[in-house]
Amino acid sequence: MTRAARVVAPLAGVALAVGLVLASRGLDEVAREGQLGPGFWPRLVLAGLGLACLLKALGDWRRGTPDPAAGAAMEPASEISRARLAAGIALIVLYVLAAPWLGFMLATTAFIAAFMALAGARSPLAITANAVAGTAILLYAFVRVVYLPLPKGEGVFETLTLAVYRALRIF
Amino acid sequence: MTEILVNLGAGLVAALAPLNLGMILLGLVIGILAGALPGITMVNSIVLVLPFTYLMGIVPSLLLMIGVYCGGVFGGSITGILFNIPGDPMNVPTTWEGYRMSRAGHTRYALGLAIMSSAVGGLASALFLAFFAPPFARFALGFSSVEFFSVVVFGLASVSVLGQSSMLAALISLFAGMFLGTVGTEQQYGVERFAFGVPFLKTGVDFVTVLIGLFAIGEVLEQMVLKAAPSTAGRPATAVPRLPLLDLWPLRGPLTRGTLVGIVIGGLAGAGATVSSFVSYGLEKQFSRRPELFGTGHAPGLVASESSVNGSTGGAMIHLLTLGIPGSAATAVMLGAFLIHGIQPGPLLFTTQAAAVYTIIAGMIVANVAMIGLGFLAALCFATLMKVPAPILDTFIVVFCFLGAFALRNDMADVWLTMLFGVLGFFMRRWGLPVPPLVMGVILGPMAEGYFLTSMVSSGNDLSVFLTRPVSAVLLALSVLIVVWPLLRTARRKRMLSGQRSDGEEATP
Repeated sequence: MTRAARVVAPLAGVALAVGLVLASRGLDEVAREGQLGPGFWPRLVLAGLGLACLLKALGDWRRGTPDPAAGAAMEPASEISRARLAAGIALIVLYVLAAPWLGFMLATTAFIAAFMALAGARSPLAITANAVAGTAILLYAFVRVVYLPLPKGEGVFETLTLAVYRALRIF
Repeated sequence: MTEILVNLGAGLVAALAPLNLGMILLGLVIGILAGALPGITMVNSIVLVLPFTYLMGIVPSLLLMIGVYCGGVFGGSITGILFNIPGDPMNVPTTWEGYRMSRAGHTRYALGLAIMSSAVGGLASALFLAFFAPPFARFALGFSSVEFFSVVVFGLASVSVLGQSSMLAALISLFAGMFLGTVGTEQQYGVERFAFGVPFLKTGVDFVTVLIGLFAIGEVLEQMVLKAAPSTAGRPATAVPRLPLLDLWPLRGPLTRGTLVGIVIGGLAGAGATVSSFVSYGLEKQFSRRPELFGTGHAPGLVASESSVNGSTGGAMIHLLTLGIPGSAATAVMLGAFLIHGIQPGPLLFTTQAAAVYTIIAGMIVANVAMIGLGFLAALCFATLMKVPAPILDTFIVVFCFLGAFALRNDMADVWLTMLFGVLGFFMRRWGLPVPPLVMGVILGPMAEGYFLTSMVSSGNDLSVFLTRPVSAVLLALSVLIVVWPLLRTARRKRMLSGQRSDGEEATP
């Protein structure tokens, strides 16, 4: 990685902090006479953030090679499957996106099946059993016992969800 | 002293009566289960049992709540150690060490240490409550928002900086977390900050969404995408917890310090178990000869944090029983139970309701002893989940994160935030930004702001108030030292290295 590429992220942090400080203008208009306003603390925090990012950028610029210590506290950066990562994130996003529309029941059943397959499960029986039984148990526990108003879906999906709720005697 | 012992003995007999013991055990089971589930906090579970106390007398009611309280503060450690999902913010430091220990194949040891140090911390704090409650309450009353601010700053400084290999990366993460804590409606003036017209941001970023996302979803993604051994890499082995009674002896230092920090900070009204667990963990790093081991699965960190969490329970009860002031959200609900039954806790309670008070204190002792057995059983049940193949476990962790986030406010926005933080957590690990300081910033940042602004209002914006009050001055000086000391050490090491290099060059003809 080039020197310039290394400082891009910390400099973006500085720019973000400056932008947010600018966005905090006007917050103190409501402040009472002689008292600190609601913008004081965030600006203090953003100043710290900007300064830390700036120092990081300067350090990375002055250093000829990447800082090996920076990542030592975290997971070792082992090789990863980018395709699997993209698919995993896409599935999670789709799940959250679909839940209000399909309802928790259908979205969860589909998500469990798809995510299990992506994570390495190969047996269709195990995948189906976990998706169906898992969702039913979760519905019973969270709708019947905890009274959590999980999304039921829209239109025909809502009708289907309610029919299953009745069948499970949780509605 | 004799009078206290006699009262405590009578209280112990009363607490062991079938109804009272049953309430303690029921409370422990509810607390451990609720504490273990992300999104259902220990305070939520105490609130949930409050309506049932209408049907009971004050003693069984309080014992039920104490069971939930003691079990709840411990429960989150189990899922933290096994799955990297802390049930409550107070279990975060335990998770840092416990999960690493678990991944290194020491799950049984980690679970056993968590159970035993929780029980010892809770037991010691209950005994402290019995013997020293009134004088300690007088001492703690002298603390104001100034001291609380300094305690929080000390916690932030010690945990964020010590032991991190890149201080700047840790500070960036910490300040980012503190900034996230400022998003939403500000408490003093009711002004919206950084919501940018997005409705769900107006109520702020709930730290539970950050917690679940960064730890659980981030970890699932990390495990899933590793090329080396898909979906099974790094999973801890199946574990039946062992109870390491003798293993605690070499860890008596962290155990004692953690318990003491828990009692003291728990006894300061408004601080609570979360602050005490972070401060205790940070303090342990300072005492450690090898602070670089913290965060890698170091038993002293787990013991200090865990004993401090349960140690804070007795401390928090001191204010409630002796002054009638709830020291935490949990004890505020308990105050409600007292008031429902027409009893006003306060200085007279120890004389007018001595039998009830000592039964409650004895109940805390019984609860902490019983927690060893129940905690063991709970850990056993959760540990069997480790037998579940990784693809199934990972998938259901994501679904549970969905449910935990949704349960917060029945709002899909929290689910979105959780998933967003999950992805962020994954990339933070990859980019070398430590996750724990960000979590700390979100949790402790708003507390620091609240205490700071209150101090400023009460002192007329005089910043010197933080330095003129001795406890605050000492804590702030220590915080500065913690941040500056590693910088000086690094600079000295660099100077020595460059000196050696130039000596070598001069010696070479």
